[in-house]
Order: sequence, then structure tokens, then C-alpha cells
Amino acid sequence: MLLNFDRLGWWKYLLLGITLLTAAFLLLPIVFIAALSFGSSQWLIFPPPGWTFQWYRELFADPRWLESALTSFKIAVIVTVLSVLLGLVTSFGLVRGSFMFRDALKALFLTPMILPVVVLAVALYAFFLRIGLGGTLTGFVISHLVLALPFSILSISSALEGFDKSIEDAAVLCGASPLEAKIRVTLPAISHGLFSAAVFSFLTSWDEVVVAIFMSSPTLQTLPVKVWATLRQDLTPVVAAASTLLILLTIILMALVAVVRKVLKQ
Amino acid sequence: MSTFSDASGVVTPLPKIRRPTGFSGVVPAFAFVGIFFVAPVAILLLRSVLEPVPGLGNYAQLIGSSTYLKIFANTFIVSGLVTVISLVIGFPVAWALAIMPGRLTSVIFAILLLSMWTNLLARTYAWMVLLQRTGLINKMLMGMGLIDQPLALVNNLTGVTIGMTYIMLPFIILPLYGVIKKIDPSTLQAAALCGANRWQCLTRVLLPLAMPGMAAGALMVFVMSLGYFVTPSLLGGTANMMLAELIAQFVQSLVNWGMGGAAALVLLVVTLSLYAVQLRFFGNQNPGGR
Repeated sequence: MLLNFDRLGWWKYLLLGITLLTAAFLLLPIVFIAALSFGSSQWLIFPPPGWTFQWYRELFADPRWLESALTSFKIAVIVTVLSVLLGLVTSFGLVRGSFMFRDALKALFLTPMILPVVVLAVALYAFFLRIGLGGTLTGFVISHLVLALPFSILSISSALEGFDKSIEDAAVLCGASPLEAKIRVTLPAISHGLFSAAVFSFLTSWDEVVVAIFMSSPTLQTLPVKVWATLRQDLTPVVAAASTLLILLTIILMALVAVVRKVLKQ
Repeated sequence: MSTFSDASGVVTPLPKIRRPTGFSGVVPAFAFVGIFFVAPVAILLLRSVLEPVPGLGNYAQLIGSSTYLKIFANTFIVSGLVTVISLVIGFPVAWALAIMPGRLTSVIFAILLLSMWTNLLARTYAWMVLLQRTGLINKMLMGMGLIDQPLALVNNLTGVTIGMTYIMLPFIILPLYGVIKKIDPSTLQAAALCGANRWQCLTRVLLPLAMPGMAAGALMVFVMSLGYFVTPSLLGGTANMMLAELIAQFVQSLVNWGMGGAAALVLLVVTLSLYAVQLRFFGNQNPGGR
């Protein structure tokens, strides 16, 4: 009876109340930021005395915001491509292969996901200082790739595990070369895994703050680092505008994932 | 000869010698992770016992100072509070989601996922503004007549706890939902038939059945909270540092690699041992921590 919603009696309303309040609590900051970015008060008073596009104009007028957004995008795209390629090759090895320490190796590849990011950030910072990669695009790409690769391996491996290898073997029997069979039969079949890997890798790189703080230099910084640096000085509504754009991108990507999943299932 | 017959004449294949296959596929990733993940972390940890002089001096200093001990205490207190509050709020929500009908459930799931994937800085910035003295929360509380003067909700551990709980809620609700969804409703019917009232059903059947999920989720939230950097440093004051910030400060402002490495090792050992407990008792879960 506790697992039947209609027979919960007045407990039903208690559960419903807590759930709706929690949902409101989770939504509050996101809606609040979006509203704030259009508010005319520089002191972030809510509700604002009026509405304006001023903060978006300031955001787009400042070349440093634009530049950091472009840097973020460039890094995220490179990381996405490398992460999917490396994830694909690695997943084939992990799923199809049989060699010693396979499970241990898989665990090692996933460790960056559970390690406190600050430890990795500090360690890479020290390492890159020595080998001259600190504050470079390469440094950014490498450090973001360390964090994105586990997501890629997880998505692609699980797609590959769900794929029946005998279909690929059948293609080979019908005269395709092993590589051709992989490209024309297996890849399309696991495309949903590749797509999730790409989206997760992109978002991981695009949203990464902690490692980026340590990687950045005065001349090269990503959008989150720019937000971080601005926030430490003051709470200007320009940050609200930048945040709203970041949130918008997340919503678009999430919707895209949902749509692609639906299409691929059909 | 690759087969042999046993006494009954049945031909059984000899066990094949298993040759390693597919290893070449993992070599690039292995090299990459080795050079840019394992080596840097190992070097950092080594420096904690080598710099400035070889020995355990850094660790003695870390344990011997009341400032650092206070930071450890802060970290564990905040993480513990965040875990308990997330559990108390998260359990009823997960329960409701598991049994609620239709459309509302999918709306709430969408909200959960949206908040999980929204940029961490954007969310933290929102709380910085919401929790200010002149912020919306204080204004609302004063408007309702609950308080006369604005509360100090930010730049202290209260702010960190609120901001971190906000971040962790989806991470506890989603696994708990999975656990409650799997519970067979007939066990509760049986309890009711045997004369248990609603409260007894909850405390003696539902909660114990959900316990493994609660423990696993709580442990995950606790571990993730221990290592957070961004939210504590923006919502907490300079007087209420947490462990991740201490590591960053050793390295960035003090350029003390020995102490930075030592603090990192402490965080790493606590994190990995709690994950080992998690794996041993509750199986694998996929977290993601910033």
C-alpha cells in the first residue's frame, strides 16, 4: 500500500508537497539567473525595476568574453573528436579483447571520473609547468581529454556490448573486409553510443572549471574561467547573461540527445 | 591432435589456449592515461615526501596545526550535513517519483536532469545572488515575518551547505528512485495483511528494503562533497576553507608543492578508500564530481 499512490491517504499529499517543493528548489536558480540577466538593476535587485538587454549588449561588446567563448568552443570540439576516436578504439579493445588485467585496465581508464578534480588539476599544473604546456591550447585539450575520455569509453563500450558481433561476422562472410564490416555494419549500429560519447565529451570540456583555472594563462582562458575570474571581483549582471547562454546551450544539447535517442530507437 | 575421447567415446574439444587479443586497441589510451594522469598524480604525491626535505615533515605539519585540522573538520562537517539533508529530502522525492502516475514524473525527471547538467558556475552564481543579505531568500523570509534582520546565509558554512545540497540532490534521488522502483509492492501488502500499520510498514519494511540504496547514495554524495572546489570557494568565506581549496592555495598562492601534495594525498586516500567500501558492499555506481 505504501507503493500504491492512490492508497496512500493523506501521506500522498505530504509526498507530493515535498516533491513539488524540491522541484521548485532545483529550478529556482536556473529561472532566477535567466530573469536576472534581463533585469535593469545593476545591484541584482529582484524583482528588477525594469527589463533590459543591456547586459547582453555589454557581453557581446567585450571582445574578451567573445574570445574566451571561442577558446572554449575550439577546445571542446577538439576534445570531442579525440575523445570519440580514442574511446572507440579503446572500447573495441576492452569489449572484444581478451588479455590479462582487462578489468583492471578498464577501472584505470574510468578513475579520472571519481578522483577529486582538484587533485588532477594541481598534478597536471605541476607537470605542464615542467614540460612547457601550461597556458597552451594543447595543455587545455590534454587535460580536458583526461576528464572526457571515461565518459566516452563508458558510452561506447556499453553500446558495443549490446551489439551482436555475429552480424559483423556475417558481413565478413559475405565478402566484406573486417575493417569494412566494422565501418559499414558495426559503427552505424552503435551510433547512439558514439553520439552520447560526443555530447558528454563536449559538455565535460565546455563546462570544466577546476582544471581550466589551473591551465589558463592571462592570454588564454576558457569561458568558465572568465566567469570565475569575473565572479571573484563582483556579481555583475553580465555574468547572469553569460550564464543564461551557457544554460541555453545545455538545454539545446539535452533536447538534441533526447530527440536523437528517440529517432534511433524507431 | 585437438580432440580426445573419454571412456564413453564422447569427443570433447581440448581447452583452447587463449591468446591475448585486442590489446593493441587499448595501447593508445593506456599510454595517454599513463603519461597525463597516472604519472602527474604520482609525481605530485611523491613530492609530498620529498620536498622541501625528504621525510614525513609535511604530514606532521598538516596534522600538527590547528588551522589545518579545522579545515579537515569543516570539510567533514559540511560533507556530512550535505549528505544527511540530501538523504532526508531525497528519500520522499525518490519514493514519490517511483509511484507517482504519468506526466508529472517526467516533468520532475526533466528538472532533475536539467539541474544536473546546468553549468556549475551558473548555479553557484545564482546562489551567491539569492543568498545575499539583500537577496531574494532573505527578503522572502523577512516578508513572511519569520525574521527581523537579514540572516548571514553566504560567505559561511551555511551558504556552502545550501549550495552543495542543491548540487547533490539529483545524485541521491536518481539511485534511490532505482532502488525503490525495484521493491515488490506485494511485500508491503503482505506486511499490511499481517497487521502492520502505515508507520510500521514504512519503518520496518520500506526503509530497510531501501537501505542498501540509501547507504550507497549517501556514501557517493559524501565522497563527492569532500573534493568539491568551486562551490565552497565561492559560497564559503575565507575563514571557512575546505580541503580542495587548501590544496589549491598551497599550490597557487604559497607555491608549497610538498604541503599541496600531502593534502592531496589525504583527500585521495579518503576518497579512494570510501569508493572501495562502496564497490565492496554496493557494487558500481557512476558518479561525477567537481
